[in-house]
Amino acid sequence: MSDRTQHAANPDVDVDVIVVGAGPAGSCAAIALARAGFSVVLLERGPFPGSKNMYGGVVYPRILDELIPRWYDEAPVQRWITRRSTMVMTDTQAMSIDFRNDAWAAPPYNGATAYRPDFDHWLAGHAESAGAQLLCSTTATGLLRDRSGAVTGVTTDRPDGDLTARLVIACDGVNSFLAKDAGLYREVAAKHYTLGVKETIGLPKEVIDERFGVRGREGVDIEIIGCTSGVNGGGFVYTNLDTVAVGVVLKLPALAAQQLRPEQIIAKMKTHSAIAPLVEGGELKEYSAHLIPEAGLSMMPKLATAGLLVAGDAAALCLAAGIWLEGVNFAMASGMYAGQAAAEALRRGDTSEQGLAGYERRLTETFVLRDHRKLRRAPALVLSDRVQHRYPQMVAAVVERMFRVDNPDPKPGLRRILAQERKRAGVRRRDLARDGWAGLRTFG
Amino acid sequence: MNSPIDIVVCLKLTARPGVADADERFAGVSPADQAALETALVLAEHSRGSVTAAAVGPVAAELALREALACGAHRAVRLDAPSALDSAEVARQLEGVVGDAAIVVCGDYSLDRGSGSVPAFLAHRLRCAQALGLVSVDHTGVVDRMLHVVRRLDGGRRELLTVPLPCVLSVEGSVARLRRAGLRDALAARTTNIDVRPSAPMAAHAATAVVTPYRPRARTMMSPGDPDPLARLRALTDATGSSTRGETVALEPGEAAERILRSLREWGYLD
Ligand SMILES: Cc1cc2nc3c(=O)[nH]c(=O)nc-3n(C[C@H](O)[C@H](O)[C@H](O)COP(=O)(O)OP(=O)(O)OC[C@H]3O[C@@H](n4cnc5c(N)ncnc54)[C@H](O)[C@@H]3O)c2cc1C
Repeated sequence: MSDRTQHAANPDVDVDVIVVGAGPAGSCAAIALARAGFSVVLLERGPFPGSKNMYGGVVYPRILDELIPRWYDEAPVQRWITRRSTMVMTDTQAMSIDFRNDAWAAPPYNGATAYRPDFDHWLAGHAESAGAQLLCSTTATGLLRDRSGAVTGVTTDRPDGDLTARLVIACDGVNSFLAKDAGLYREVAAKHYTLGVKETIGLPKEVIDERFGVRGREGVDIEIIGCTSGVNGGGFVYTNLDTVAVGVVLKLPALAAQQLRPEQIIAKMKTHSAIAPLVEGGELKEYSAHLIPEAGLSMMPKLATAGLLVAGDAAALCLAAGIWLEGVNFAMASGMYAGQAAAEALRRGDTSEQGLAGYERRLTETFVLRDHRKLRRAPALVLSDRVQHRYPQMVAAVVERMFRVDNPDPKPGLRRILAQERKRAGVRRRDLARDGWAGLRTFG
Repeated sequence: MNSPIDIVVCLKLTARPGVADADERFAGVSPADQAALETALVLAEHSRGSVTAAAVGPVAAELALREALACGAHRAVRLDAPSALDSAEVARQLEGVVGDAAIVVCGDYSLDRGSGSVPAFLAHRLRCAQALGLVSVDHTGVVDRMLHVVRRLDGGRRELLTVPLPCVLSVEGSVARLRRAGLRDALAARTTNIDVRPSAPMAAHAATAVVTPYRPRARTMMSPGDPDPLARLRALTDATGSSTRGETVALEPGEAAERILRSLREWGYLD
């Protein structure tokens, strides 16, 4: 770079920090570092931040309070989530627990639906305003290292594309090539990932308001279990202003074994009597798919090595625990903490693995690793065969019998129904007790 | 070698087709404009010349100019003007930037499928040679101030032209593939100074051309009397009739113009 020394504090490198990936993690890391006075280049392979990114659709941005006070006045939000439903489904039945909270329609809010091309673009705009240099349409293709093995920069797909830095932060999302290149992952196995696929369906706003029972900017988040045609996973329906997101998250080995295509599974889910009235008549606007690092702590890589930090999905920090599918807030938080720890290390002039230990300490002290530790058994439990296939049948059958009026027969007792339906669903008492206990330990 | 030559490449940033508003995330220049930029850069490399990237439009147009700078343009000029100007007005605005440049290169269409007439208006204003809708530009002649180019004609034919400088060229997207900007150049281009000039006062009676898709006029036909349905269909569709062939006429220019207008009127292109 012609102005090599102008930016970086150390004249031997092009820039203080290279952040790879302008997703939520990368932009928050870049904001924290640029505000701390370091020169930052934020590389993004897409033509603009968010252009390559997809997710279900609900973001919990309270963590931004620290970086962008009153973020809710400016964030490109579609709707504020005021209604959350958890639905258990069989082919012909559905049971929901529905929660509505008016307080979530006002600051500081709780969750919001937002389109990633809007949200990520907005967040990266803050990184640029803070002084980071955003360079799009540029893919980091590998790591540069010195003789000791410490990371000293990245190679990119541009001509003349090597860029050196005192520190690299890999925020390149799930299946991070940079983290793998650095040897930070012990094992990369298909069982640790789920495939998320989503249809975005256009409907007039008034129709969405009426069908989902909301008004103005209020929105709905429905998480579903038992809607995935026998493939272990889950589903979701989220409302945007004039679109509805309908999607499923599917365990990869199970999907391969069933030889089903994800779009077939969504198509079937959309014909279910609990979903069809919500989306019928809509126009398919977009179909998208993306991997999710689902296994939490059990797949997490080492988070730092000399000259390199890993944040967000690149570090498998997405929390996928049944009723919670939170990745964006974990990415924003880990990005921000990576930025803060990096700034600390750069000031001390120590970017060795030890010098970067402040990053993991921050994650351990905050919700990022605390939630992951607490919910470490959740992914396996939620995706287990019994929770996926047997319990939805059992629960639906129990509820059906409770509400069925079989006169002249008298109403049966709940205990009897439970025992009968447990047997019919093929659930052993021992397993039910074990799963109940595991559920309590996991979520309690 | 002759003295270095100045080349101006004109770029238009537009929203991609299908995107309702002019959201800069979805805006870009056409493949033809990209080919124009590459052509300009190659011509400059062969003549030790310099390239000025020019755009008429609001601030967003600077995205196209920064990309040009990253790829190797030496300087960039934006004429600050609203984006919805007609071709004659755009050419009028560009005239001041072009100055004494020896070559002006434009794309032959913008992403919003404009009429491609800016280069023609520009050549007219500059009173210089023009070669439009080119499918190939041979850069070797640039040192002799003479370009050998190939122009697309109807019916798959080609026209070989020798164009003296100064000239205005417009090129199709297939002429050249724009080089990828180097990393350092791309970073540097983010902050390179762009020369922003106020637009010249708008012409009082700027002509407005409304371009509509071609819709042939309905033809009045007698209802075919044949009782056989196939024969009626043939009569209505001319399916087996002889197709109209091109016709060569030798006329004086004035008569030729009359004749062209009459035919265009008959075919439904003109009201
Ligand atoms: C179907 C689905 C539904 C989901 N639903 C939700 C939800 O409702 N709520 C929620 O909070 N989370 C959800 N998630 C998870 C969430 O999307 C992720 O956890 C989050 O996006 C992680 O952010 P990140 O910044 O770490 O990575 P990403 O968002 O993946 O961003 C990575 C960025 O890096 C860029 N990049 C990658 N490689 C390179 C490279 N080599 N060079 C340059 N740039 C590169 C990418 O283009 C991208 O911009 C969902 C995920 C899926 C797949």
